[in-house]
Amino acid sequence: METFEPVIVAFCCHYCAYTAADMAGSERLAYPPNVKIVRVPCTGKVDAIHILKAFEKGADGVYVAGCLEGDCHFKNGASRAARRVAYVRKLLDEIGVGGERLEMVRMSAGMGDRFAETAKEITEKIRELGPGPVRMAALSEARKAA
Amino acid sequence: DLDKCTACGVCYEKFPGCVRFTPGLDHRAPTCMRYPRTTPRAFSIDMEKCADPAGLEACCPAGAIVLDDADQTRREACGAIVLAPGAALFDPSGMDNFGYVDQPDVVTSLEYERILSASGPTRGRLERPSDGRRPRKIAWIQCVGSRGLQKGAASYCSNVCCMFALKEAIITRERFGENVDATIFFMDIRTVGKGYERYQERAKNDLGVRFVRCRPHSVIRKNDEDTLSVSYAPYDGGELATEAYDMVVLSTGFKIAGDVREMAGIMGVELNEHHFARTENLNPAATNRPGIYVCGMFEGPKDIPETMTQASAAACMATAHLGSPGAVVRREEELPPERDVTGEAPRVGVFICDCGNNIGGVIDVDALTEWARSLPGVAAAEAVGHGCSGESLERIRRVVSEEGLNRVVIGGCSPRTHEIKFQDAIRKAGLNKYLLEMANIRDQAAWVHRDQPAMVAQKAEDLIRMAVSGVSSARPLVERALPMNKDVLVVGGGVSGMSAALCLAELGIHVYLAERSPELGGVAKNIRRTLEGADVGAFVRELIEKTEAHENIQVITGAIIVDHGGMPGMFRTGMQVGKQMFYRQIRHGAAVIASGALPHRPSEHLLGRHEAVMTQLDADAFIDDAPDTVKTWDNVVMIQCVGSRCPENPTCSRVCCQSAVKNALRIKKINPDARVFVLHRDVRTYGFQEDYYLRARELGVIFIRYEADDPPRVEAAEGQVDVTFRDPLLDREITVTADSLCLSAGFEVDDEDAEDLAMIFKLQRGEDGYFLEDHTKLRPVDLPIPGFFVAGSAHGPKLIRESVTQAQAVAARVQARLSKDEIQLDAAAARVDKEKCAACLVCVRACPFDVPFINADGYSEIDPARCHGCGVCAAECPAKAIQLTRFEDDRILAGLEGLFERMVA
Repeated sequence: METFEPVIVAFCCHYCAYTAADMAGSERLAYPPNVKIVRVPCTGKVDAIHILKAFEKGADGVYVAGCLEGDCHFKNGASRAARRVAYVRKLLDEIGVGGERLEMVRMSAGMGDRFAETAKEITEKIRELGPGPVRMAALSEARKAA
Repeated sequence: DLDKCTACGVCYEKFPGCVRFTPGLDHRAPTCMRYPRTTPRAFSIDMEKCADPAGLEACCPAGAIVLDDADQTRREACGAIVLAPGAALFDPSGMDNFGYVDQPDVVTSLEYERILSASGPTRGRLERPSDGRRPRKIAWIQCVGSRGLQKGAASYCSNVCCMFALKEAIITRERFGENVDATIFFMDIRTVGKGYERYQERAKNDLGVRFVRCRPHSVIRKNDEDTLSVSYAPYDGGELATEAYDMVVLSTGFKIAGDVREMAGIMGVELNEHHFARTENLNPAATNRPGIYVCGMFEGPKDIPETMTQASAAACMATAHLGSPGAVVRREEELPPERDVTGEAPRVGVFICDCGNNIGGVIDVDALTEWARSLPGVAAAEAVGHGCSGESLERIRRVVSEEGLNRVVIGGCSPRTHEIKFQDAIRKAGLNKYLLEMANIRDQAAWVHRDQPAMVAQKAEDLIRMAVSGVSSARPLVERALPMNKDVLVVGGGVSGMSAALCLAELGIHVYLAERSPELGGVAKNIRRTLEGADVGAFVRELIEKTEAHENIQVITGAIIVDHGGMPGMFRTGMQVGKQMFYRQIRHGAAVIASGALPHRPSEHLLGRHEAVMTQLDADAFIDDAPDTVKTWDNVVMIQCVGSRCPENPTCSRVCCQSAVKNALRIKKINPDARVFVLHRDVRTYGFQEDYYLRARELGVIFIRYEADDPPRVEAAEGQVDVTFRDPLLDREITVTADSLCLSAGFEVDDEDAEDLAMIFKLQRGEDGYFLEDHTKLRPVDLPIPGFFVAGSAHGPKLIRESVTQAQAVAARVQARLSKDEIQLDAAAARVDKEKCAACLVCVRACPFDVPFINADGYSEIDPARCHGCGVCAAECPAKAIQLTRFEDDRILAGLEGLFERMVA
């Protein structure tokens, strides 16, 4: 089997993590291409349904990247996101996807290096966990069909 | 005729000899269209070289060539003049020791820039001009034509060459990696700008750029050799060395061209001894003639952020001459009506930028375009070069109209910086500007995955597919307009805050000036003189008097900002004022952060524990107040970079080298026999400060370098201190018993205060702790939050004159913003589907701004004008009755579907 390249969705707040990703870009800080960014106005906007859909479609990992405690442009959106992520992790455990595939991270707009580091760490972690169950099922189905 | 020329290039094809278009290296030929994005975009013609004028005139399909288009004289009446003629490059032809004239592989930095450029003569391939071979070793030689006394060189420092040499070396190493060695020969690395020190560290530590401290004396090619020999005497007195390089880049400085000097003469604008405009020391945009202002290089060598800042400052000064703000006519462009696209199947246009080599050098843009054309829903796909350039935007507009597109995806850079340009382009084509999505294949692919060529193309495809899929669900949106509050809050009553407040007040704008301490003045109150000798005390006193007396300024001292709310254009900021700490709220439409920085007082080198040890700031006053004591000094030692350029504070404090030179000169004036030692790491007297550095050396001030890992040691010796350091020339330790030790301690961020302001106003701070501007070059005084601006040391360490310039620039930006009566708000807002709403109150509780309420009809109502668009309510609503426009659930999910299509297939 070829090396497993996980697909990871990062919901990034426009005001911090998305800007940090741009900073990582302008500083040319390399990180794994596995991470795909979805821009949201605030991580408070990231609904449980968005996260679950990402897994359903085949994501191997998801993380929500919001502002540091107290930095949220909308007062407490990131804190709400953190609570929601904790809740969805439990759900993921219950349905067998595994809560460890979802994370909440916090950073500020200036932290290009932190963005790149986080992307690396999470990609490595998911790589170790292996393909998500939805991906696994699709793979084995494909194999059966073949 | 510039209006007619379409830059089609027919004239150039048919008459290459007399049409000036040289997109390349040949700077010695007349080069008028030097690169493909000149403005105006047109060819220029050298008639003297044309043998067949009639044929030339006839060949132009647009009829734009007018043979008798001779010079004309016109008279224009105006209220003020801004001079921005720029500077010319120093021509190194006269320096025969560098072989520029006869060695093709010796190029100037601008020529090297062209070699690296995708639109340059080699299309971005790194090739030697002599034989087209890829060079393996490249040397940069700094200070060519600057900081020199011979062969026509200027004595001043050209300020920006260190940075562009670093940039070129970094790009070379990044793009061509291990195969190309980069060496920079320099005297002092002057990375004094914001974040520049970090950039230099990165070049040295991460990218392996080699730095050699010396000025090479010659570059020659020996007859039988393929390479260039660079000979130099190492700084620390070692043997004369010669090294072989494939290419040599001369970091040429700037000078003022003859025609500019002539123009200045006609205008009656005085020039300084270097032929730059002579300006007031503490008002750098003002010339000797009232009503004539200068900006950019003509005022002194400077980099792009400083040029942009000064341009705004000059605009501010000029506006003051134009009478009432109504005199400034705002031209609104006629826009075509918006096309109704509801019910149409998506016809997406995908436009992919190469951003020069930024994207084009990493990703095969043509292949990506071809691939994008095959995506479902895509009706057109094109590669557009620099997508944000005028002609590409026009091209996008045309394709959108001609192909009847109803959605657009830009594969390019960040929506944070460029979305607005593309929104404008599609709006001009009659599309609602929200029918656009940007796939950030530069910042999120080309720039960060260049090391994984196999995956970078796939990631770019993923991002484009996500964008196409997402934009297909996009809906046209209407923007909301709110009345603009015309008052301004300025936070900080130092030179920057007061200067900004006064400029605004003069323009008829009401200003609240909030200062934390009981009185105005800031750090500058402790400074007596500038390097150039201006009386800072008198300047600050006058500023304070004018500020306090101005009818449009309300000064609030002892004010601590405690809360902030409202919307762009109608902010509310609360503060606790005075000893009683009574609460007061101010309404304002814009805010200026001018909260400054703190003079650093580290505990190193016995500071605060020994009477002979002081900071440069203390010394500044001491020299003025106690000249009799200064007269008794035999030895004075100054240590630079104390608490700056170190792991705890990697920033260069920018002002300390000139403070040291200033104080050394003042000590020498009072006591010519005093021996003054300046222990430094680099002497960073940028621009015209170099003159004073030279004067200090002429007067016998001794400058000695120390290494960061071997700093000077200080011990108390009764009333004096013993300073021990290693002299690199003598290669031995020396101890000087000093009567006075002045530490150049620079600035530090007032972390507590800056953090409070950042939290309350939701502002971003950089790694260095200073407030982060919206865009370093394009919007250097704007903060990322609309309506917020930054001036002075809150943005980074600065001289007084630089703070004044920034304050004036901020005033211009604020005035432009407040000149509108309404503010357009982003269309992202929550909408309630009343059929689904169960009036459960979740949104009412979740909203951070208390906007939703249950109305008389029994469902939740959200006022779009007050909604901030965060989407928290939409995420919390259990019935999914709330959608955040622009970020609707189906649009986000469609984007995800797009991403995973590849895997399903």
